[in-house]
Amino acid sequence: MFALLLQEHAPEHAGETAGKFDAGKTIIDHVSNSGLDHPLIHLPTIAGIDFSVTKHVFMLWLVAAAVFIIVTATIRAYLKQDRLVPTGFMNALEALVEFIRDSIATPNVGRKWVNTYTPLLLTFFVFIFSANAIGLIPLFDVLGLVNHFVIHADEQSFLARVVHGGTTSTANYNVTGALATITFLSIIVAGTKAHGFVKHWMNLVPHGLAWPLYILLIPIELMGMFVKPFALTMRLAANMTGGHIAILAILSFVFIFTEMFSQAFAGIGVGLAVSVPLAVGISALEIIVVLVQAYVFTLLSAVFIGMAIHVHH
Amino acid sequence: MNNPLVQPDPGLYIWTIVTFLVLLGLLAKFAWGPLLQALDGRQAAIRKALDDAQQAKTELERLHHESAQIVAKARQEADAIITRSRADAEALREELRAKARAEADGIVKNAERQIQAETARALLQIRHEAVDLSVAIASKIIQRNLSREDNERLIDETLKQLH
Repeated sequence: MFALLLQEHAPEHAGETAGKFDAGKTIIDHVSNSGLDHPLIHLPTIAGIDFSVTKHVFMLWLVAAAVFIIVTATIRAYLKQDRLVPTGFMNALEALVEFIRDSIATPNVGRKWVNTYTPLLLTFFVFIFSANAIGLIPLFDVLGLVNHFVIHADEQSFLARVVHGGTTSTANYNVTGALATITFLSIIVAGTKAHGFVKHWMNLVPHGLAWPLYILLIPIELMGMFVKPFALTMRLAANMTGGHIAILAILSFVFIFTEMFSQAFAGIGVGLAVSVPLAVGISALEIIVVLVQAYVFTLLSAVFIGMAIHVHH
Repeated sequence: MNNPLVQPDPGLYIWTIVTFLVLLGLLAKFAWGPLLQALDGRQAAIRKALDDAQQAKTELERLHHESAQIVAKARQEADAIITRSRADAEALREELRAKARAEADGIVKNAERQIQAETARALLQIRHEAVDLSVAIASKIIQRNLSREDNERLIDETLKQLH
Protein backbone atom coordinates (compact mmCIF):
# COMPACT_ATOMS: atom_id res chain seq x y z
CA MET A 1 0.00 0.00 0.00
CA PHE A 2 2.75 2.35 1.02
CA ALA A 3 4.74 1.38 -2.04
CA LEU A 4 1.78 2.17 -4.23
CA LEU A 5 1.38 5.57 -2.68
CA LEU A 6 4.99 6.23 -3.49
CA GLN A 7 4.43 4.99 -7.01
CA GLU A 8 1.58 7.44 -7.19
CA HIS A 9 4.05 10.27 -6.77
CA ALA A 10 6.25 9.13 -9.55
CA PRO A 11 4.06 10.26 -12.46
CA GLU A 12 3.88 13.61 -10.74
CA HIS A 13 7.61 13.88 -11.09
CA ALA A 14 7.46 13.04 -14.77
CA GLY A 15 4.53 15.38 -15.27
CA GLU A 16 6.31 18.28 -13.69
CA THR A 17 9.28 18.05 -15.99
CA ALA A 18 6.95 18.13 -19.00
CA GLY A 19 5.28 21.23 -17.70
CA LYS A 20 1.78 19.97 -18.35
CA PHE A 21 0.79 16.47 -17.28
CA ASP A 22 0.60 14.12 -20.25
CA ALA A 23 -0.76 10.73 -19.06
CA GLY A 24 0.17 8.87 -22.28
CA LYS A 25 3.75 10.09 -22.32
CA THR A 26 4.20 9.40 -18.58
CA ILE A 27 2.83 5.89 -18.88
CA ILE A 28 4.93 5.05 -21.92
CA ASP A 29 7.98 6.43 -20.13
CA HIS A 30 7.32 4.12 -17.17
CA VAL A 31 6.75 1.01 -19.23
CA SER A 32 9.15 1.26 -22.16
CA ASN A 33 12.88 0.88 -22.24
CA SER A 34 15.06 3.94 -21.71
CA GLY A 35 16.01 5.30 -25.13
CA LEU A 36 19.19 4.30 -26.93
CA ASP A 37 20.03 8.02 -27.17
CA HIS A 38 20.50 8.12 -23.39
CA PRO A 39 21.83 4.68 -22.45
CA LEU A 40 23.17 3.85 -19.00
CA ILE A 41 26.51 2.74 -20.40
CA HIS A 42 27.64 3.69 -23.89
CA LEU A 43 28.98 0.73 -25.84
CA PRO A 44 30.10 0.70 -29.48
CA THR A 45 27.83 -0.13 -32.36
CA ILE A 46 28.91 -3.35 -34.07
CA ALA A 47 27.50 -4.28 -37.50
CA GLY A 48 24.75 -1.71 -37.11
CA ILE A 49 23.70 -3.07 -33.71
CA ASP A 50 23.95 -0.69 -30.76
CA PHE A 51 25.17 -2.71 -27.79
CA SER A 52 24.71 0.12 -25.30
CA VAL A 53 23.38 -0.88 -21.92
CA THR A 54 19.86 0.48 -21.63
CA LYS A 55 17.57 0.21 -18.63
CA HIS A 56 16.19 -3.15 -19.70
CA VAL A 57 19.66 -4.62 -20.27
CA PHE A 58 20.61 -3.32 -16.83
CA MET A 59 17.46 -4.93 -15.36
CA LEU A 60 18.24 -8.24 -17.09
CA TRP A 61 21.70 -8.24 -15.55
CA LEU A 62 20.37 -7.27 -12.16
CA VAL A 63 17.80 -10.07 -12.27
CA ALA A 64 20.28 -12.63 -13.63
CA ALA A 65 22.82 -11.75 -10.94
CA ALA A 66 20.24 -11.85 -8.15
CA VAL A 67 18.81 -15.15 -9.39
CA PHE A 68 22.23 -16.71 -9.78
CA ILE A 69 23.44 -15.63 -6.34
CA ILE A 70 20.27 -16.58 -4.47
CA VAL A 71 19.67 -19.91 -6.22
CA THR A 72 23.27 -21.04 -6.25
CA ALA A 73 23.93 -20.01 -2.65
CA THR A 74 20.81 -21.79 -1.45
CA ILE A 75 21.50 -24.98 -3.40
CA ARG A 76 25.20 -25.02 -2.52
CA ALA A 77 24.41 -24.62 1.18
CA TYR A 78 21.87 -27.41 0.90
CA LEU A 79 24.18 -29.80 -0.91
CA LYS A 80 27.04 -29.16 1.52
CA GLN A 81 25.17 -30.94 4.29
CA ASP A 82 25.93 -34.56 5.13
CA ARG A 83 22.27 -35.43 5.35
CA LEU A 84 20.21 -33.63 2.72
CA VAL A 85 17.57 -31.95 4.83
CA PRO A 86 16.05 -28.92 3.07
CA THR A 87 15.41 -25.94 5.35
CA GLY A 88 13.94 -22.49 4.89
CA PHE A 89 14.04 -21.13 1.35
CA MET A 90 15.42 -24.43 0.08
CA ASN A 91 12.03 -26.03 0.79
CA ALA A 92 10.37 -23.65 -1.67
CA LEU A 93 13.16 -24.03 -4.21
CA GLU A 94 13.05 -27.79 -3.98
CA ALA A 95 9.28 -27.79 -4.38
CA LEU A 96 9.69 -25.59 -7.47
CA VAL A 97 12.43 -27.80 -8.94
CA GLU A 98 10.42 -30.95 -8.35
CA PHE A 99 7.27 -29.32 -9.72
CA ILE A 100 8.99 -28.26 -12.93
CA ARG A 101 10.78 -31.57 -13.27
CA ASP A 102 7.82 -33.82 -12.46
CA SER A 103 4.83 -31.81 -13.70
CA ILE A 104 6.25 -29.85 -16.64
CA ALA A 105 9.37 -31.59 -17.96
CA THR A 106 8.61 -35.29 -17.44
CA PRO A 107 5.12 -35.40 -19.02
CA ASN A 108 6.31 -33.45 -22.07
CA VAL A 109 9.88 -34.43 -22.88
CA GLY A 110 9.71 -37.89 -21.29
CA ARG A 111 11.88 -39.67 -18.77
CA LYS A 112 14.81 -40.10 -21.11
CA TRP A 113 15.39 -36.37 -21.65
CA VAL A 114 14.14 -34.97 -18.38
CA ASN A 115 17.54 -34.16 -16.93
CA THR A 116 18.64 -32.57 -20.22
CA TYR A 117 15.81 -30.03 -20.43
CA THR A 118 14.88 -29.45 -16.79
CA PRO A 119 17.77 -26.98 -16.25
CA LEU A 120 16.59 -24.96 -19.26
CA LEU A 121 12.98 -24.94 -18.09
CA LEU A 122 14.00 -24.10 -14.53
CA THR A 123 16.11 -21.21 -15.76
CA PHE A 124 13.24 -20.00 -17.94
CA PHE A 125 10.91 -20.05 -14.96
CA VAL A 126 13.11 -18.40 -12.33
CA PHE A 127 14.48 -15.83 -14.78
CA ILE A 128 11.12 -14.82 -16.25
CA PHE A 129 9.41 -14.91 -12.88
CA SER A 130 12.08 -12.73 -11.26
CA ALA A 131 12.14 -10.29 -14.19
CA ASN A 132 8.33 -10.06 -14.06
CA ALA A 133 8.22 -9.73 -10.29
CA ILE A 134 10.84 -7.02 -9.98
CA GLY A 135 8.53 -4.81 -12.07
CA LEU A 136 5.93 -5.00 -9.31
CA ILE A 137 8.33 -3.51 -6.80
CA PRO A 138 8.65 0.26 -7.32
CA LEU A 139 12.37 0.16 -6.54
CA PHE A 140 13.38 2.80 -9.06
CA ASP A 141 10.40 5.01 -8.37
CA VAL A 142 11.50 5.19 -4.73
CA LEU A 143 15.05 5.80 -5.90
CA GLY A 144 13.74 8.58 -8.17
CA LEU A 145 11.90 10.19 -5.27
CA VAL A 146 14.96 10.01 -3.06
CA ASN A 147 17.00 11.55 -5.87
CA HIS A 148 14.42 14.24 -6.52
CA PHE A 149 14.05 15.32 -2.91
CA VAL A 150 17.31 14.34 -1.19
CA ILE A 151 20.27 13.60 -3.45
CA HIS A 152 19.68 15.92 -6.44
CA ALA A 153 22.06 13.95 -8.61
CA ASP A 154 23.34 15.47 -11.83
CA GLU A 155 21.17 14.79 -14.92
CA GLN A 156 24.07 12.98 -16.59
CA SER A 157 24.90 10.81 -13.56
CA PHE A 158 24.19 7.07 -13.52
CA LEU A 159 21.71 7.47 -10.67
CA ALA A 160 19.67 10.11 -12.48
CA ARG A 161 19.55 8.01 -15.63
CA VAL A 162 18.84 4.66 -13.99
CA VAL A 163 15.50 5.88 -12.58
CA HIS A 164 14.14 6.42 -16.09
CA GLY A 165 12.48 3.70 -18.09
CA GLY A 166 10.43 0.65 -17.20
CA THR A 167 11.72 -1.83 -14.67
CA THR A 168 9.99 -4.83 -16.21
CA SER A 169 12.37 -6.07 -18.88
CA THR A 170 9.95 -8.85 -19.85
CA ALA A 171 7.46 -6.15 -20.90
CA ASN A 172 9.78 -5.45 -23.83
CA TYR A 173 9.13 -7.69 -26.79
CA ASN A 174 12.81 -7.58 -27.76
CA VAL A 175 13.51 -9.42 -24.51
CA THR A 176 10.64 -11.88 -24.79
CA GLY A 177 11.49 -12.38 -28.44
CA ALA A 178 15.02 -13.30 -27.45
CA LEU A 179 13.70 -15.74 -24.84
CA ALA A 180 11.33 -17.23 -27.41
CA THR A 181 14.31 -17.55 -29.77
CA ILE A 182 15.96 -19.71 -27.12
CA THR A 183 12.83 -21.89 -27.14
CA PHE A 184 12.83 -21.92 -30.96
CA LEU A 185 16.45 -23.09 -31.03
CA SER A 186 15.80 -25.58 -28.22
CA ILE A 187 13.03 -27.17 -30.28
CA ILE A 188 15.42 -27.68 -33.19
CA VAL A 189 18.19 -28.95 -30.90
CA ALA A 190 15.78 -31.31 -29.13
CA GLY A 191 14.43 -32.71 -32.39
CA THR A 192 17.92 -33.10 -33.80
CA LYS A 193 19.23 -34.82 -30.69
CA ALA A 194 16.28 -37.20 -30.58
CA HIS A 195 15.93 -38.04 -34.29
CA GLY A 196 18.95 -36.67 -36.12
CA PHE A 197 19.10 -33.47 -38.13
CA VAL A 198 17.42 -34.62 -41.33
CA LYS A 199 14.80 -36.72 -39.57
CA HIS A 200 13.83 -33.77 -37.38
CA TRP A 201 12.90 -31.67 -40.41
CA MET A 202 11.10 -34.62 -42.00
CA ASN A 203 9.09 -34.94 -38.79
CA LEU A 204 7.59 -31.50 -39.32
CA VAL A 205 4.93 -32.99 -41.57
CA PRO A 206 3.17 -36.38 -41.30
CA HIS A 207 4.50 -39.21 -43.44
CA GLY A 208 2.70 -41.11 -46.14
CA LEU A 209 0.19 -38.54 -47.37
CA ALA A 210 -0.81 -37.84 -50.95
CA TRP A 211 1.71 -35.40 -52.47
CA PRO A 212 -0.72 -32.53 -53.14
CA LEU A 213 -1.34 -32.29 -49.41
CA TYR A 214 2.31 -31.54 -48.81
CA ILE A 215 2.05 -28.42 -50.92
CA LEU A 216 -0.42 -27.22 -48.35
CA LEU A 217 1.10 -28.75 -45.25
CA ILE A 218 4.75 -27.77 -45.57
CA PRO A 219 4.08 -24.00 -45.61
CA ILE A 220 1.60 -24.39 -42.75
CA GLU A 221 4.04 -26.34 -40.61
CA LEU A 222 6.88 -23.94 -41.44
CA MET A 223 4.65 -21.08 -40.41
CA GLY A 224 3.72 -22.97 -37.23
CA MET A 225 7.38 -23.26 -36.41
CA PHE A 226 7.63 -19.47 -36.25
CA VAL A 227 4.16 -18.84 -34.85
CA LYS A 228 4.95 -20.79 -31.68
CA PRO A 229 7.80 -18.53 -30.50
CA PHE A 230 5.96 -15.47 -31.82
CA ALA A 231 2.99 -16.34 -29.60
CA LEU A 232 5.35 -16.80 -26.65
CA THR A 233 6.91 -13.40 -27.37
CA MET A 234 3.67 -11.47 -27.60
CA ARG A 235 1.88 -13.24 -24.75
CA LEU A 236 4.58 -12.49 -22.20
CA ALA A 237 5.37 -8.93 -23.35
CA ALA A 238 1.73 -7.90 -23.66
CA ASN A 239 0.78 -9.39 -20.30
CA MET A 240 3.64 -7.65 -18.59
CA THR A 241 2.91 -4.34 -20.27
CA GLY A 242 -0.87 -4.44 -19.84
CA GLY A 243 -1.03 -4.63 -16.08
CA HIS A 244 1.48 -1.86 -15.63
CA ILE A 245 -0.32 0.40 -18.07
CA ALA A 246 -3.60 -0.26 -16.27
CA ILE A 247 -2.10 0.62 -12.88
CA LEU A 248 -0.40 3.74 -14.22
CA ALA A 249 -3.54 4.87 -16.08
CA ILE A 250 -5.63 4.52 -12.95
CA LEU A 251 -3.04 6.40 -10.90
CA SER A 252 -2.95 9.11 -13.60
CA PHE A 253 -6.49 10.05 -12.58
CA VAL A 254 -4.97 11.78 -9.56
CA PHE A 255 -3.06 14.22 -11.76
CA ILE A 256 -5.71 14.53 -14.45
CA PHE A 257 -8.29 15.54 -11.84
CA THR A 258 -5.83 17.87 -10.13
CA GLU A 259 -5.26 19.69 -13.43
CA MET A 260 -8.91 19.60 -14.37
CA PHE A 261 -10.05 21.33 -11.19
CA SER A 262 -6.77 23.15 -10.55
CA GLN A 263 -6.94 21.83 -7.03
CA ALA A 264 -4.79 19.18 -5.37
CA PHE A 265 -7.80 18.18 -3.23
CA ALA A 266 -9.73 16.84 -6.20
CA GLY A 267 -6.82 14.70 -7.28
CA ILE A 268 -6.09 13.38 -3.79
CA GLY A 269 -9.78 12.67 -3.25
CA VAL A 270 -10.09 10.72 -6.46
CA GLY A 271 -6.78 9.03 -5.66
CA LEU A 272 -7.88 7.79 -2.23
CA ALA A 273 -11.42 6.91 -3.32
CA VAL A 274 -10.78 5.29 -6.70
CA SER A 275 -7.20 5.08 -7.88
CA VAL A 276 -5.45 3.51 -4.89
CA PRO A 277 -8.07 0.78 -4.21
CA LEU A 278 -8.19 -0.10 -7.91
CA ALA A 279 -4.41 -0.03 -8.25
CA VAL A 280 -4.08 -2.30 -5.19
CA GLY A 281 -6.56 -4.70 -6.74
CA ILE A 282 -4.76 -4.75 -10.07
CA SER A 283 -1.41 -5.15 -8.31
CA ALA A 284 -2.82 -8.19 -6.52
CA LEU A 285 -3.96 -9.51 -9.89
CA GLU A 286 -0.50 -8.75 -11.28
CA ILE A 287 1.08 -11.03 -8.67
CA ILE A 288 -0.94 -13.87 -10.15
CA VAL A 289 -0.20 -12.79 -13.73
CA VAL A 290 3.53 -12.63 -12.98
CA LEU A 291 3.47 -16.23 -11.76
CA VAL A 292 1.14 -17.51 -14.44
CA GLN A 293 3.05 -15.95 -17.33
CA ALA A 294 6.36 -17.40 -16.10
CA TYR A 295 4.60 -20.75 -15.76
CA VAL A 296 2.93 -20.54 -19.18
CA PHE A 297 6.18 -19.64 -20.95
CA THR A 298 7.95 -22.54 -19.23
CA LEU A 299 5.13 -24.98 -19.86
CA LEU A 300 4.71 -24.07 -23.53
CA SER A 301 8.45 -24.29 -24.09
CA ALA A 302 8.35 -27.78 -22.56
CA VAL A 303 5.36 -28.71 -24.72
CA PHE A 304 7.06 -27.49 -27.92
CA ILE A 305 10.32 -29.29 -27.06
CA GLY A 306 8.28 -32.38 -26.24
CA MET A 307 6.49 -32.18 -29.60
CA ALA A 308 9.83 -32.25 -31.39
CA ILE A 309 10.92 -35.32 -29.38
CA HIS A 310 7.68 -37.30 -29.43
CA VAL A 311 6.31 -36.76 -32.90
CA HIS A 312 2.70 -37.73 -33.32
CA HIS A 313 0.45 -36.47 -36.03
CA MET B 1 7.24 3.32 -35.30
CA ASN B 2 7.90 6.23 -32.99
CA ASN B 3 6.20 4.47 -30.09
CA PRO B 4 9.01 3.20 -27.87
CA LEU B 5 6.87 0.19 -26.89
CA VAL B 6 7.30 -1.31 -30.36
CA GLN B 7 10.81 -0.07 -31.09
CA PRO B 8 12.99 -2.88 -32.44
CA ASP B 9 16.20 -3.04 -30.41
CA PRO B 10 18.62 -5.67 -31.73
CA GLY B 11 21.14 -4.79 -29.05
CA LEU B 12 18.69 -5.62 -26.30
CA TYR B 13 17.68 -8.78 -28.18
CA ILE B 14 21.26 -10.01 -28.32
CA TRP B 15 21.99 -8.94 -24.75
CA THR B 16 18.98 -10.94 -23.60
CA ILE B 17 20.12 -14.08 -25.39
CA VAL B 18 23.66 -13.67 -24.04
CA THR B 19 22.46 -12.95 -20.51
CA PHE B 20 20.05 -15.86 -20.55
CA LEU B 21 22.57 -18.33 -21.95
CA VAL B 22 25.21 -17.27 -19.42
CA LEU B 23 22.71 -17.59 -16.59
CA LEU B 24 21.57 -20.96 -17.95
CA GLY B 25 25.14 -22.21 -18.18
CA LEU B 26 26.09 -21.02 -14.72
CA LEU B 27 22.92 -22.29 -13.05
CA ALA B 28 23.04 -25.62 -14.87
CA LYS B 29 26.64 -26.14 -13.83
CA PHE B 30 26.53 -24.88 -10.26
CA ALA B 31 22.92 -25.22 -9.16
CA TRP B 32 20.46 -27.26 -11.22
CA GLY B 33 22.82 -30.04 -12.25
CA PRO B 34 24.07 -30.92 -8.77
CA LEU B 35 20.61 -30.44 -7.29
CA LEU B 36 18.88 -32.70 -9.83
CA GLN B 37 21.58 -35.28 -9.28
CA ALA B 38 21.09 -35.05 -5.51
CA LEU B 39 17.31 -35.34 -5.91
CA ASP B 40 17.73 -38.40 -8.11
CA GLY B 41 20.15 -39.81 -5.55
CA ARG B 42 17.70 -39.21 -2.77
CA GLN B 43 14.93 -40.79 -4.79
CA ALA B 44 17.09 -43.84 -5.36
CA ALA B 45 17.99 -43.94 -1.66
CA ILE B 46 14.34 -43.80 -0.64
CA ARG B 47 13.44 -46.49 -3.14
CA LYS B 48 16.29 -48.65 -1.88
CA ALA B 49 15.30 -48.09 1.74
CA LEU B 50 11.72 -49.11 0.97
CA ASP B 51 12.92 -52.17 -0.93
CA ASP B 52 15.22 -53.07 1.92
CA ALA B 53 12.41 -52.70 4.42
CA GLN B 54 10.19 -54.92 2.27
CA GLN B 55 12.94 -57.47 1.97
CA ALA B 56 13.60 -57.37 5.71
CA LYS B 57 9.91 -57.87 6.35
CA THR B 58 9.77 -60.86 4.03
CA GLU B 59 12.89 -62.24 5.63
CA LEU B 60 11.45 -61.72 9.08
CA GLU B 61 8.25 -63.48 8.07
CA ARG B 62 10.24 -66.35 6.67
CA LEU B 63 12.30 -66.59 9.86
CA HIS B 64 9.16 -66.43 11.94
CA HIS B 65 7.62 -69.21 9.92
CA GLU B 66 10.81 -71.21 10.15
CA SER B 67 11.12 -70.76 13.89
CA ALA B 68 7.49 -71.78 14.35
CA GLN B 69 8.23 -74.85 12.32
CA ILE B 70 11.29 -75.60 14.40
CA VAL B 71 9.37 -75.18 17.65
CA ALA B 72 6.58 -77.43 16.40
CA LYS B 73 9.09 -80.03 15.35
CA ALA B 74 10.92 -79.80 18.68
CA ARG B 75 7.66 -80.19 20.55
CA GLN B 76 6.79 -83.22 18.47
CA GLU B 77 10.20 -84.68 19.13
CA ALA B 78 9.95 -83.97 22.83
CA ASP B 79 6.57 -85.69 22.89
CA ALA B 80 8.04 -88.65 21.11
CA ILE B 81 10.95 -88.75 23.53
CA ILE B 82 8.64 -88.58 26.52
CA THR B 83 6.41 -91.32 25.15
CA ARG B 84 9.36 -93.48 24.33
CA SER B 85 11.04 -92.95 27.67
CA ARG B 86 7.78 -93.67 29.44
CA ALA B 87 7.50 -96.93 27.54
CA ASP B 88 11.14 -97.66 28.24
CA ALA B 89 10.67 -97.03 31.94
CA GLU B 90 7.61 -99.23 31.96
CA ALA B 91 9.52 -101.98 30.22
CA LEU B 92 12.45 -101.56 32.55
CA ARG B 93 10.21 -101.70 35.57
CA GLU B 94 8.52 -104.80 34.21
CA GLU B 95 11.89 -106.38 33.57
CA LEU B 96 13.21 -105.46 37.00
CA ARG B 97 10.11 -106.76 38.63
CA ALA B 98 10.35 -110.03 36.73
CA LYS B 99 14.02 -110.29 37.55
CA ALA B 100 13.37 -109.57 41.24
CA ARG B 101 10.63 -112.10 41.28
CA ALA B 102 12.85 -114.65 39.62
CA GLU B 103 15.62 -113.89 42.03
CA ALA B 104 13.32 -114.16 45.01
CA ASP B 105 12.04 -117.42 43.67
CA GLY B 106 15.59 -118.61 43.28
CA ILE B 107 16.42 -117.60 46.85
CA VAL B 108 13.34 -119.34 48.23
CA LYS B 109 14.09 -122.49 46.24
CA ASN B 110 17.64 -122.42 47.36
CA ALA B 111 16.59 -122.00 50.97
CA GLU B 112 14.15 -124.87 50.64
CA ARG B 113 16.77 -127.02 49.09
CA GLN B 114 19.22 -126.09 51.79
CA ILE B 115 16.63 -126.77 54.46
CA GLN B 116 15.94 -130.13 52.90
CA ALA B 117 19.60 -130.91 52.73
CA GLU B 118 20.12 -129.80 56.33
CA THR B 119 17.13 -131.84 57.43
CA ALA B 120 18.41 -134.86 55.62
CA ARG B 121 21.80 -134.42 57.14
CA ALA B 122 20.29 -133.96 60.58
CA LEU B 123 18.20 -137.03 60.14
CA LEU B 124 21.21 -138.96 59.04
CA GLN B 125 23.12 -137.69 62.02
CA ILE B 126 20.26 -138.58 64.37
CA ARG B 127 20.14 -141.92 62.76
CA HIS B 128 23.86 -142.41 63.37
CA GLU B 129 23.52 -141.22 66.93
CA ALA B 130 20.63 -143.57 67.48
CA VAL B 131 22.63 -146.44 66.09
CA ASP B 132 25.54 -145.53 68.30
CA LEU B 133 23.31 -145.27 71.33
CA SER B 134 21.66 -148.55 70.54
CA VAL B 135 25.01 -150.14 70.15
CA ALA B 136 26.17 -148.64 73.42
CA ILE B 137 23.01 -149.71 75.24
CA ALA B 138 23.24 -153.11 73.76
CA SER B 139 26.84 -153.53 74.74
CA LYS B 140 26.13 -152.37 78.23
CA ILE B 141 23.25 -154.81 78.56
CA ILE B 142 25.41 -157.58 77.30
CA GLN B 143 28.33 -156.66 79.56
CA ARG B 144 26.44 -156.73 82.81
CA ASN B 145 23.87 -159.46 82.18
CA LEU B 146 21.74 -158.39 84.96
CA SER B 147 18.42 -159.14 86.36
CA ARG B 148 15.24 -157.62 85.17
CA GLU B 149 15.34 -155.10 87.91
CA ASP B 150 18.96 -154.43 87.24
CA ASN B 151 18.16 -154.08 83.60
CA GLU B 152 15.46 -151.61 84.21
CA ARG B 153 17.75 -149.71 86.57
CA LEU B 154 20.45 -149.83 84.01
CA ILE B 155 18.14 -148.56 81.31
CA ASP B 156 17.10 -145.72 83.59
CA GLU B 157 20.72 -144.94 84.37
CA THR B 158 21.64 -144.94 80.80
CA LEU B 159 18.68 -142.76 79.93
CA LYS B 160 19.72 -140.40 82.69
CA GLN B 161 23.20 -140.38 81.33
CA LEU B 162 21.81 -139.57 77.93
CA HIS B 163 20.24 -136.52 79.34
